[in-house]
Amino acid sequence: MMEILAQAHKILGMNARNLEYVRPLNLKNARAIADDKILSKEVLGAAGVPVPRLIAQIATHEELEAFDWSTLPDSFVLKPNRGFGGGGIIVVFARKKGMDNAWVTAGGGVITAQDLSNHISNIIDGAFSLSGVQDVAFFEERLTLLKLFKPYSYRGIPDIRIIVYNRVPVMAMLRLPTRESGGKANLQLGGVGVGIDMATGTTTTAIQGKGKVITYAPGTRMLLSGIKIPYWDDILMMSVRAQEASGLGFLGADVAIDRERGPVFLELNARPGLSIQIANMAGLKERLERVAGLTIKTAARGIRMGKDLFGGEIEETVEQTSGKRVIGSVEEVTFIGKDDKRVTVKAKIDTGAYSTSIDRALARELGFGATLDAFDRLPLDTYTLIPENEAAIKKDILAAHGTAIPNLADVAVVFSSSGATVRPVVKVFFVMDDVRVPAYVNIVDRSKLRYDAIIGKRNLGKFLVDVSK
Amino acid sequence: MSPWINSMIVGLGIPDQTIALLLIFPLVATLIAFFRQVIGVKAFGIYTPSIIALVFFMISDARYEGFDLWAMFYDLRYGIAIYIAVIAIGMGMRVVLKKVRLLYLPRVAITMTLLSFTVLGILALGAALQRTGFATVYVFPLIVLVVIAEKFVAVQIEKGTKTALLLALETFVVALCGYALLSSQTVQNVVFAHPFSVLLVIPVNVLLGKWTGLRVAEYIRFRDVLTRMK
Repeated sequence: MMEILAQAHKILGMNARNLEYVRPLNLKNARAIADDKILSKEVLGAAGVPVPRLIAQIATHEELEAFDWSTLPDSFVLKPNRGFGGGGIIVVFARKKGMDNAWVTAGGGVITAQDLSNHISNIIDGAFSLSGVQDVAFFEERLTLLKLFKPYSYRGIPDIRIIVYNRVPVMAMLRLPTRESGGKANLQLGGVGVGIDMATGTTTTAIQGKGKVITYAPGTRMLLSGIKIPYWDDILMMSVRAQEASGLGFLGADVAIDRERGPVFLELNARPGLSIQIANMAGLKERLERVAGLTIKTAARGIRMGKDLFGGEIEETVEQTSGKRVIGSVEEVTFIGKDDKRVTVKAKIDTGAYSTSIDRALARELGFGATLDAFDRLPLDTYTLIPENEAAIKKDILAAHGTAIPNLADVAVVFSSSGATVRPVVKVFFVMDDVRVPAYVNIVDRSKLRYDAIIGKRNLGKFLVDVSK
Repeated sequence: MSPWINSMIVGLGIPDQTIALLLIFPLVATLIAFFRQVIGVKAFGIYTPSIIALVFFMISDARYEGFDLWAMFYDLRYGIAIYIAVIAIGMGMRVVLKKVRLLYLPRVAITMTLLSFTVLGILALGAALQRTGFATVYVFPLIVLVVIAEKFVAVQIEKGTKTALLLALETFVVALCGYALLSSQTVQNVVFAHPFSVLLVIPVNVLLGKWTGLRVAEYIRFRDVLTRMK
């Protein structure tokens, strides 16, 4: 309970969002742009941000009367200009064959020009606008679904929500339309939100609706984590550019990816929702406070800042789900030898090697000097070192000298590119990334090599190796 | 009783009922603000729950010592019935009228018509059960109807039936609390004794208006994040 209270300051609540971010940062002029979709298109288009193409707009009942339906293309989207929460939108896929001015909707039904006319009339009367004010209806280009997203989406098009503050993209979420949400990428209606790692654009944790944690896309066995969002850098750049163009200091940017056009900017949000924090299992307030007051001169710098500060959850997530630690190709390792002697060295993580080797000097430091001295006295040159003899050599040495050499646990015959060697094997523990691992390690002269030890795959079962680390 | 109030009632002839309402109303509004900002109960804004609290008070038309909740709610049973009927009809009509594809205002008008007849039925029932006081304030249930029905339908379109139902329930709870304040004889005695103490709600609201902490409901909403965050 106390823990929860201590974490509370990291979360952005409704009170703080409105009082500290929306009110002072999203001023009236900027909000006017966000609340007017046609104006948004103009402003963003002028700033070089790609937007869905405007086909036609209808502002009055007279214009509606005079509208020539045959000018509409085969597929389009009809929207109320001041709509919200995805209300009042009709998506049309194709013309209905054999009928004049009739189309097939996203839901599979047929819609006629008369139906569209009624709907537009409703839009003009303000049925879908905030507080019911008179509105404008418009037709825009229909975006097509990216193949990558197909198995995760129900009917509609997924989009990517990015919170931008002070030119820095601070948090992102992939929103997927579901059956429950009626094909709309809207969390409040039951859509899915998947957190995104800012650095890599890879998805992490997911929720459905207002906060139910899920692992798979609803009704499928498709894992929601680990989806790599294409055009990630372009998407971040578009959202920061959109902030600059719109003047919204605290922006929720919605970007969709069209199969042909690539990323397209959908919508500016002056009051972005807070569920993105649950999708990411991270607090927005904490992130915003880290970016507040910084002077970010260019969009590129803001993006780099966002990636550096808010990336990297992927690794923790992988660690949580796999139960394995993620390590780099060189790690600091503490060996624990005889009588609890401890030596810390840099070791190479070598998944090409089967077993772990340590340098002779390191072995002496760990208390295996006597082992080495005794092993060196063995007449090893009497053996022919070929793979077929390996088992016989081991058996022979262990039988003849096994008890005479202190701490000898085994004998290894190693065939490497530099030739074959017979090596003594001792039992040690090593600690890497806070994990204690028991290991049989062979001892060899590595004095001319860069690292005093290599950790082979036999001892890497508890780890995942990230070569970029 | 404060001499101010006394001279208003005795000297100027302003009904004490009216004075009580005007003095308790700021408390109701503050209570609603507190519910929203600190607890996170949204309801349909501030106007709808306060007007419904007022209507509830007029329907029960009685004063209670302290907060005798059982008696308060029992006397309100017709008001509660009307409220539930409005929400149920608002929901049902949406399903029915959706298929007919009507323009927005005519659609709301049809919903209103059905509501009027329903209330008429409830009034008749009340009269048949000798609940005479109820019928005399008949105009107020109509106000509630218009207010809630419009609000409910608007929210339903905007955010879906589930959210609208939740908000209707929250509005109901908040309105009941406001009604409890309005119909308590004890509260009336206090504000009559110290009318200017009601002004204390202003600094209280300044504090509420600057409150940026998490709401109680948000602790629940973000519980997974709060426990899993590093």
